Amino acid sequence: MEPGDVSAGEKAACLSAAQRRAEIRRRKLLMNSEDRMNRIVGYTKNESEINAATLLRPTEPRFHLDLDRTEPWSSASSSPRPSPFLPEASGLVSRSHGATPERRGSPLPDSGDPPGSFLEDDIVGIQQRPRGERASDDLSSSPRPGLQKYLSRFDDAMKLRGQLANEKPTQDGGGSDSEELDPFRIFRLIGSILLAVFVRVFVCKFLSIFAPFLTLELAYMGLYKYFPKVEKKAQTTVLTAALLLSGIPAEVINRSMDTYRRMSDVFADLCVYFFTFILSHEFLLLIGSETP
Amino acid sequence: MASGYAWFLVLGSVFLCNLMKTLLPTISSFLSKMVQKDAEQESEMRAEIQEMKKEQASISMMDEFARYARLERKINKMTDKLKTHVKSRTAQQAKMKWVVNIVFYILQAALMISLIWKYYSDPVTVVPSKWIAPVERLVAFPTGVAGGVGITCWLVVCNKVVSLGLHAVS
Repeated sequence: MEPGDVSAGEKAACLSAAQRRAEIRRRKLLMNSEDRMNRIVGYTKNESEINAATLLRPTEPRFHLDLDRTEPWSSASSSPRPSPFLPEASGLVSRSHGATPERRGSPLPDSGDPPGSFLEDDIVGIQQRPRGERASDDLSSSPRPGLQKYLSRFDDAMKLRGQLANEKPTQDGGGSDSEELDPFRIFRLIGSILLAVFVRVFVCKFLSIFAPFLTLELAYMGLYKYFPKVEKKAQTTVLTAALLLSGIPAEVINRSMDTYRRMSDVFADLCVYFFTFILSHEFLLLIGSETP
Repeated sequence: MASGYAWFLVLGSVFLCNLMKTLLPTISSFLSKMVQKDAEQESEMRAEIQEMKKEQASISMMDEFARYARLERKINKMTDKLKTHVKSRTAQQAKMKWVVNIVFYILQAALMISLIWKYYSDPVTVVPSKWIAPVERLVAFPTGVAGGVGITCWLVVCNKVVSLGLHAVS
């Protein structure tokens, strides 16, 4: 063999080796770029998720002031955030055949490595990176839950303040008694008035005036379902806002408000009943039909 | 013993107080209009701005830019002046509303205290005690008269009924 032939052979081998190295370097670069992109996207997403979650998550279902929310405050704010990478990694797996745009556009003659191992390296690399980064996140995230909780509560307080400011003109316009007189309420009041007159004229000599009233209230409880139900809008008051911010679940507040509303309806009936009774008593005294 | 129409006096007082409460915004705006001296100036400024805007709309910006710009500056100046004026008027109205509310609540408190003082030991009306059993003591508080209706109970009842009635009417 001549020396020229040897050098040519060596050159060819070197070239192919060089080509191979270039190929490996190229793949590494491509892989790195993807990892880099994932890291960038992942970091950005993480931060934006943290900020957005503090803004978005407390609001929509929770407030209107959303009293439909059933979860307690703290559990919601401390719920773990999903990692952006694993779904992306699974997405990448599903897309791996078409691969990334960089890969799609570059048909690389895969000289030695099988495609499967290459893809596995991809996935492992992608998965490993985020986990490593998540570990670093965990280390730095220990003061974050408290800060996030504080930020979320602050945002909620600002939103509640806005809602209170919006609802204040409507409440002022309605006056102190902002409850609407729905048909059932009007029926109750009229029933109380009629019963008071009836009791004054016929019944009061025989028993206490409150016994018929209690019977009437029991009857109302039974008749309630036959009347059309009026949806009462959950008003945001300072009290409900303070209760929500102090961590009391919205469902508890809803039920308490509902109970309070029912009690105030009964109290209103009692006041109307007693007032009408005394008025009719004085009227009868005035016309002199009876002596007490 | 209860005077004949004590219940009516208390009822009338409560009705008056609640009626005044509903009319408070009207009263405060009326008083602020009386106190305000330069109300006409604001309407004049508005009219002037309208005139200038009409004039500006009739001018072509390309052809008479200088005149257009001059008018624009005048309009802006007048608008700023109007804004300042409106701000001060609004502040004055808010102050007047606050004063009227304070005066009303003081008067209302004085009236209620005087009624309670007058009828502390006398019931507003008397009914047979068995009629209002078993809560005759609560109803008679603070008079202690058997079968009597105390001022506190009657005030609460009247307040509720009158507010319901006024709410239904309004």
